[in-house]
Amino acid sequence: MSREKDAANYALVFFAVLSVLLLLFPASKLAHTGRIALSYSLYPSLHYGAKYEHFIRNVPANFVALLETDQENRALKARVKELEISLQNSSVMVAENERLSREMRIARTLPWAGSWARVVNKTPSDWYGSFFIDRGSDDGIQVNDTVLGMQGERAGLAGRVFEVYPKFSKVLLLTNAAASAVCAIEPAGLEALVEGKGTWLLKMNYVPEEAALAEGAELVTAPGGLLFPAGVPVGKVAKLYPRESFMNFITADVTPAVNVNTLKEVFVVRRHLPRDLTTLKGASE
Amino acid sequence: MSLLLELLLYLATGTLYWWWTQHLTFFGLAPNFIFAAALAAAILSGPVKGIAWGFFLGLYADMLGVSVFGGWALTYTLMAYAVNVVKKHFDMDSLFSQLVAAVSLSWLSMLFYQGLSLAFARINPTGLKLFLAEPFLNALAVPVVFQVFYWLKRRTGVL
Repeated sequence: MSREKDAANYALVFFAVLSVLLLLFPASKLAHTGRIALSYSLYPSLHYGAKYEHFIRNVPANFVALLETDQENRALKARVKELEISLQNSSVMVAENERLSREMRIARTLPWAGSWARVVNKTPSDWYGSFFIDRGSDDGIQVNDTVLGMQGERAGLAGRVFEVYPKFSKVLLLTNAAASAVCAIEPAGLEALVEGKGTWLLKMNYVPEEAALAEGAELVTAPGGLLFPAGVPVGKVAKLYPRESFMNFITADVTPAVNVNTLKEVFVVRRHLPRDLTTLKGASE
Repeated sequence: MSLLLELLLYLATGTLYWWWTQHLTFFGLAPNFIFAAALAAAILSGPVKGIAWGFFLGLYADMLGVSVFGGWALTYTLMAYAVNVVKKHFDMDSLFSQLVAAVSLSWLSMLFYQGLSLAFARINPTGLKLFLAEPFLNALAVPVVFQVFYWLKRRTGVL
């Protein structure tokens, strides 16, 4: 019994001293690295949220880099999962947005850089002349930016920005008697000037007499025009008038591509025109 | 042969603990099978072997952990010695004794390790949740581990 007790005491002293030595003497770099590698491999959850720098002291830099890469990899995987979920939510929202847009006949994706704006005020006395939109200089709108409206699935020229305020802007409609645009008659590309009349129709001038122009011909903004981007639908020829005896040109009535009476939302195309041009408030083509 | 079996049992205990903590944690809690094995080995083995089991199981826990190295080895060594003394006065084979020993020694070992960790590394390794819950999980694990070790001892002569 006494021998057994002695053996227990010796064992206790031996293992306790060994433990204390392990506690007292700092582990060599190699042993410490091995321990960290083992504990990290077997028990990585221990390292999450822990004072990481404290535990990986006295460890070769390349091993630290390996651990940090693993941590970063785990964090990035978690981030990728989050983003995938976010993407799925976004695609659902985009589909919903498109459906609502179709229902409300508003915003579409257009091949120009710009922003959508809502029509906030129309003046009865100037119904075909101008209206206000809820975007201004705070949103990057500038004078003479092109304003497009949607007619069904197609965009058409509605006018251009005439006055800009911080929170809203005034749009000069193409149907305004003071507005005009250089147009190309499709498909030949013959250029002519389309002007507003202050009514729901436009007037086309300066069409050469010999031009093969027919009712229903489509007009788009001409590449040579300064204010408007080329290729924007302007309208269709509604009625041709014979040449007056004292003129060398024929004229025509044009139905606008955009019905200003139904516009709720417009797309303002950023033109980034030269400063000296944008300062000309009344500039017209 | 016996030594080889003991080595296998040692590794199996460590692997079980590692697997359990990786897959079966409940609110971040798991029974400490290393502690349970150290206690069961101390009850079943002779004094030297019990203390050696305590030391080496503690060393395994130290390898897994991130705090002071050698802390658990010292803690389980002292615990095995204490169990060796106590079992001469109490029947540690009974379920009640094992439950009481599991709960009380869990807390004592945690507090002792906490003290070592604070003294040697200024790290506070034990959270309150762990301190309050783990002793009771250990109390559930100790009788099971004891029965497994007891069965192995009778069948193979380990411990």
